[in-house]
Amino acid sequence: MVHMTTTETTAGTARGTAAEAAGSAVSFDRVTKAYGDVVAVDGLSLDLYPGETVALLGPNGAGKSSTLDLLLGLRRPDSGTVSVFGTGPREAITAGRVGAMLQSGGLMDEVTVGELVRLACDLHPRPYRVQDVLAAAGIAQIADRRVNKLSGGQEQRVRFALATAGANDLIVLDEPTTGMDVTARQAFWATMREQADQGRAVLFATHYLEEADAIADRVLVLHRGRLLADGTAAEIKARAGARKVSFDLDELRADGAAAVEQRLRELPFLSALDLSGHTVRLQSTDADATVYALYGLGVHPRNLEVAGLGLEQAFVAITAAEEARSA
Amino acid sequence: MSGTSGAIDEAARTRGLQKENHMTTHTTPNAPTSGSPRFTSGALVTLEVRRALRNKKFLFFSVIYPALLFVIIAGGADSTTEVAGTGLALPAFMMVSMASFGALTAVLMGNSERIAKERQSGWVRQLRLTSLPGRGYVLAKTASAAVVSLPSIVVVFVTAAAVKDVRLDAWQWLALTGAIWAGSLCFAALGVAVGYSATGDAVRPITMILYFALSLLGGLWMPTTTFPHWLQTLADWTPTHAYAALGRAIELGGAPHAGDVVLLLAYFLLFAGGAAWLYRKDTLKA
Repeated sequence: MVHMTTTETTAGTARGTAAEAAGSAVSFDRVTKAYGDVVAVDGLSLDLYPGETVALLGPNGAGKSSTLDLLLGLRRPDSGTVSVFGTGPREAITAGRVGAMLQSGGLMDEVTVGELVRLACDLHPRPYRVQDVLAAAGIAQIADRRVNKLSGGQEQRVRFALATAGANDLIVLDEPTTGMDVTARQAFWATMREQADQGRAVLFATHYLEEADAIADRVLVLHRGRLLADGTAAEIKARAGARKVSFDLDELRADGAAAVEQRLRELPFLSALDLSGHTVRLQSTDADATVYALYGLGVHPRNLEVAGLGLEQAFVAITAAEEARSA
Repeated sequence: MSGTSGAIDEAARTRGLQKENHMTTHTTPNAPTSGSPRFTSGALVTLEVRRALRNKKFLFFSVIYPALLFVIIAGGADSTTEVAGTGLALPAFMMVSMASFGALTAVLMGNSERIAKERQSGWVRQLRLTSLPGRGYVLAKTASAAVVSLPSIVVVFVTAAAVKDVRLDAWQWLALTGAIWAGSLCFAALGVAVGYSATGDAVRPITMILYFALSLLGGLWMPTTTFPHWLQTLADWTPTHAYAALGRAIELGGAPHAGDVVLLLAYFLLFAGGAAWLYRKDTLKA
């Protein structure tokens, strides 16, 4: 409590708006955006907080890019409000609180990497030193190279440097590791973690689900412009139905296999069952209860394994379920 | 799930605040958002100028080429025969034409092509994610074009004085430079308008057509007195005609005619208004 009071005072004097006190870095309130007949963002409401690393997932056309554009004030919502640190997106950007790296963001050509990063530092109200920004982005050794002579991965790093040229409170990244090899990708996320550890909110859109699983402490799943799921990667996986249970059952090779199979199908919390030979694979929304009931059948399962669904499978399950529901 | 995510939110918030508190002791203090206005565009102007001075093709066409044309056109002419109806000898006449032409090249080409290409590449979008005010971009483009247009004017003057013995009073040289430089703003605005209306592929032909039409009709390459009557009437209303007339009036020892100044100003307002409108339209759809 004492701690909270002091931080509130600090935040209050340094920044001081009502939304700050509530702590939200980004707030969407029933935001809608349509292009002609296509509704890209459909009544979206969400809040992001300082210190959170949030992954934005969704199939192509789910509204990820539109959501980021709205967040950054590159487009205006048809209805609803977007606020960033209690102000409009443009004000927050002008105040140097937001750094962003967009796929569609180009670079000035015919200048060197160093000159471009210096420009970004000069434009930032709370800049870091140019050498530090170059080093953090891993491009210090190519500072003298012309921007139009870079590889795709190097360009991404330059974009990253531009997004982190000063002390931002929110960093927005759209598919940041596209074009990077595995090593570069790992180095990138290590840098990103440092940013988050310094109390920044980091929001990234990605189609590498393992990245979301490994990096994000919160995952947002967008589908047709609406928020389909919002929670930790573990929660999203749990919500997708669950866990996988597999085992071998010798009783399925003996007489009365049909009766055994019938009893398996009646197990509680079962969401899918697959028999191949005497191997049983099932999905359960409550694996503990299902396994307990399984032993209650008086059978002798061998090689029993219980595993969670990967985020990728969970993601597919959630969006497919929604697709089926809305069809 | 709402219960758990609420708890997560709370945890993240507290964690964030702790870190934020920790941060403020280590990093540079937060600048107040409504602090002293910084000339943020300055950094971009500097880089744009440096880039323009590095571009040899651009420098050749805006700085060397007009002076070269002057030597070719006025080189053989004697310094006493007047260009009919102007009261000026050919070298003096062509000096103003070519200085105006050079400035026109620098600002029109510099603005239109760059803006259209950078809109296409996404650099304009990237810049909108910085603290740079939106108009700072246009300002920087125009400023860097103006930095190149000044030498293009001066080089023509020096060439004319050295090769064709054009002699004027000191005040006339200064007034000429000032008038041609300031007048080029009209075409800088046109360049911005073209840059925001054309796509990256279409911008070059559009600019070239405008550039040739304006240069030719405005009499920058040859006196309009050689045109048929109907074309002369049309030429009298072009902005380039009024632009070159500013310099010629000064060469004759007078002030620019009010009619030319008003016409050029009207064009400037038209182009700048159009540029502002197109810029805003582009900004809204990004």
